[in-house]
Parts: sequence; C-alpha cells; structure tokens
Amino acid sequence: MEAAVSASALRRTYERKRKDAVVALDDLTLSIARNEIHGLLGPNGAGKTTLVKILSTVLLPTAGTARVLGHDVVAETRTVRTLVGLVLGGDRGLYDRLSARRNLLFWGALYKLDARTVRRRADALLERVGLAERADDPVERFSRGMRQRLHLARGLLHEPQVLFLDEPTSGLDPVAAVAFRRLVLELRDEGRTFLLATHDMDEATALCDRVSLIDRGRLLLTDDTASIGRILGDRECVDFVHDDGTHAEALALLPEVTDVERLDDRWRVHTADRDGSRRVLAWLVERDVLTARHAQPTLEEVYLRTVGDRGMRV
Amino acid sequence: MTYLRVVWQAFRLQAELARRGPQHLLMLLVTPMQTASLLALTLHSHRPDALVNAVIAPGMIGLWVAALDYAGRVVPEDQWAGRFTPMVAAPVPLTVVVVGRVAAVVLVGAVAFAESWLTAAVGFGRVLTVAEPGVFAAAVLATCLAAVGTAMLLSGVIALSRARDVLQNSLSYPFYILGGVVFPITVLPAWVRPFSRVVFLSWSAQLLRDAAHGTVRHWAVSLAVILALGAAALAGGMWLTRRVVDGARRKGTVGFA
Repeated sequence: MEAAVSASALRRTYERKRKDAVVALDDLTLSIARNEIHGLLGPNGAGKTTLVKILSTVLLPTAGTARVLGHDVVAETRTVRTLVGLVLGGDRGLYDRLSARRNLLFWGALYKLDARTVRRRADALLERVGLAERADDPVERFSRGMRQRLHLARGLLHEPQVLFLDEPTSGLDPVAAVAFRRLVLELRDEGRTFLLATHDMDEATALCDRVSLIDRGRLLLTDDTASIGRILGDRECVDFVHDDGTHAEALALLPEVTDVERLDDRWRVHTADRDGSRRVLAWLVERDVLTARHAQPTLEEVYLRTVGDRGMRV
Repeated sequence: MTYLRVVWQAFRLQAELARRGPQHLLMLLVTPMQTASLLALTLHSHRPDALVNAVIAPGMIGLWVAALDYAGRVVPEDQWAGRFTPMVAAPVPLTVVVVGRVAAVVLVGAVAFAESWLTAAVGFGRVLTVAEPGVFAAAVLATCLAAVGTAMLLSGVIALSRARDVLQNSLSYPFYILGGVVFPITVLPAWVRPFSRVVFLSWSAQLLRDAAHGTVRHWAVSLAVILALGAAALAGGMWLTRRVVDGARRKGTVGFA
C-alpha cells in the first residue's frame, strides 16, 4: 500500500548573508503509513517544523522529493493543500476579535467550501471540540486550550486525510492536553493519518504508533513507540524507590547485576537477562522494598541518549 | 464563482474587523477636521469657487489613507499574527483574499466623501451642489474601484518592503500633490504634470471638479483612464502579492513577520 506521506532525500537549507547556509533538513528519508500517528521528536532547531512546513506546501525544499497520498508537494501543490490539514500550536494564528464561528466560516471559504457546507461543518466541529457554547464569543476571550481546539477545528474543516500537528499541546494544562489527545485518537480511528511534531515524550508515547527522532536535520531513528526501548539494547532493568543508597550498593555486588544508576526519583538496576531481573525483584521484596518494578528504557531515555546532551544549544 | 465567494468572505471578514476594531475607523475622525481646515481657508480667501476642492479633497485623502495605511497592513498584520502560514497552506491563492479585504478597507475610506460633504453642509452651511450628478456619481464609483486596485498594489509593495513604516509615511503627501487632490495639477510646474497623469487621483479629482462645476468634457475617456489605471494597479498588486508568497516559500520566511 502506498504511504500516506513519504520524503526522499529531503534537504532544506536557509541562506544567510556572509555566512554559511544553515542546513535545516539533511537528506531526510521518511515514510508514514496510512492511518498511522507518527511522532516527530527532536530538540529545538532539529528540523521538525521545517519538515512539517515542506509537507504542508508552505515551504519549498532545496532538494529531494516529498509526496502526500502520492502527490508531489512541489509539483502538485494545490492538490496536496486540499488533502492535508495544518494545525500549529500556540496562541496566534486566529482573528482574535472575531468569534470562533466567524473564524471557521472564513477559513472554510479558503478551502473552496460553499457557505452551507462550511456552516454545517463549523457547527459540527465546534460541538466536537467542545466549543459550541462559546461559538459566538470573540477568540480573544478564549484560553490557550480553547484556541488550540479551534486550531484543530480549523485544520479539520475541509476533512483532510492527513493532518500535520506542530506542537499542538504546548502550553496546555494536563486536562486539556489529555482531551486533545483523546480527540486525535478518535480522528485516527476515522481513518486519518497524523504527523505529530512534539517535544512532549508523554504525548508521543500516548499517541504515536511510531516515532522518528531527528536532530540537526538528520533522521536518527524510526521505530515503533511500544518497543523503542530496544534501541538501547535488549537490556533488562529493575526500578525501585529507596531513600538511601544502601540497597543500591548491595545490589551492585550481585553477580547478575551489570550496573546500578541513580535516576531523578529512583534507582535503576541493570541486569544481564530476565532471570537476573527476577532475582533482583525477589531480593528487593525480601527487604520490604515494595516499590520495585520491572522496567524497560522509556522513549524519553532513548531520546536523551540518542540526541545526546545538547543542553540549550541549537 | 468559488473565488468570488472567497472575495466576499474576505470582504465580510475585513468589514467585521473594522466594526470590532475602532482603530480601523480612526481615519474617519480626521476627515471632518480636514474639511473644516480647507473650508476655513476657502472662506477666508473669499474663494467660493474653491468650495468643491475643500469638499472633494478630504474624501480623496480618506480613500488614499485607507489604501496606503490600512490596506497596506493587511498582509503584514497576518504575518505578525501567525495567520500567514495557514493562509499560504490553503488552496485559495492569497491574492484573492487580499482583494476582498482591501475592497472593504477602501469602502470604509469612501465614507469620507459623504462625511466631508456633510461637514460642509451642516457645520458651515455650505452645500456643494453638483451640476452633473450622474457623472459625479460615476466618477466617485470609478475612483473607489481604482482605489481598490491601488490599495492592492500598495499592499504588495509594503509587504515586500523592509522599511514598511517609512514607506507608508512617505507615500502620502507626494500623491496628494501629484494627484491634484487639494489643488488642480494645472498649478504644478509643467515638468511635474506628466507624472501626475499616471496617478489615478489626478484624473478623478479633475473629473469630480468638472462634474461639480458643469464643465465636463470627454467624461467617458476620463472614466476609462481612471479604471484602466486602477486595473493596472490591481494586476501589479496581484503579481506582487504572489511574489510575496513565492518568496516566503522559497526563503523560508512564511512564519516570520
């Protein structure tokens, strides 16, 4: 089956006066299956937004090709624009003095929808994103979460088959973020494909079927979200919480333990195999450490180890 | 039909923005003061024949301010507010949206004509009588249409400019003079007049004065020139707006102001 989104040797540079060009995307090749939620992770300046902009035809690639549902984003710009929805995060991007409904009526016209269809879809979408009761209020009175939901409604007005979400829940409170994610999953169940650019590892873990890590414009890896821990090797771990390091020191002496490390809020014991983890768990339970649990490296750990310690650098 | 619907939606959007944002209507506060100043000069110098200048000039200035200041901000404001990116991502060309929005802006500016006439009539008891009202009305309509085209051109020029404020501030008086807005271009030095003839305001001002005085000659030619200059400006403006979008997609500045 043809991929919903594909990029092949995609490159984008930004020219600068009297300086070397900045390489935002460097020969990036990526394929996203239909009906997939694909996470795009990377630090600031990694090239996530550049990729989203190229795929949504807002930006031209310097080299390489990208296709959405089989249509080239450069040669078939108009067709691609009718097939994709772009949802940007943040407070901006709407006519703040106008109502949510008025905003949607205007944006619907830009997708060549007739007035009756736009009105019908706007009402249905406002209901769906929970803004029906505030539909006629000016957007300037909306919270960030409400604006974000309106952004999503705008992106769905023309019923696109592929949606590009760029940091859609940045700045949302946890309750609003969970509601937003639930909505995305519902939309996927309707057959839509998503590319989600995010910094939020919990979001990527909760939503994405697969994730791609990019840094400095290069694709570092793509894998299933559920089993991405394998990237760090088939390492077995046991996590436990304990106030002092006495148990950690004792565990480090056991033959089945390969390493013990202190994480932010817990200890992590690395073992050679599953039997080793089982013995460590039993060892801890015997000493009344009931917080112990079998663990695998999380997406966040994979991210941190793969991207490395970039700190604030971009 | 689809694009006409977009133009209409963009027109309605801009009209609603003007209704909800008082700053869009500020220019209409200035018009009565301009009319009062020009009328005072006219009356003080005992020039009743110049009444038509005092009434028409603020109307034309209102149109120009709308085209230059307000229409010129349409694209940059969408850039600042983060609306430019989703707009470029839509299948309808940005030019279609901008045409609808500048048309609404210019219509607001055209209210200055009525305001100016009312200020003279109610405030000063000087009613401007028009000898040839049909030609006068046609001239006002053609002037408004040409102003839409010119607003489109100015919008494109300003969106492409790196010194938008400087440009906007410096494009008013030269065009009031070249356009013969306050006084007929016949009082200008001869070498300036050819430049005046490519400014639609000069044809509009002349036709409006002649219609008021009943001294119109070749009104159809004047109307055709006004509309042709407006159409040329519209075409230029649409081309420039396309360049704005193409340049932003190429340079990667779509998301920047």
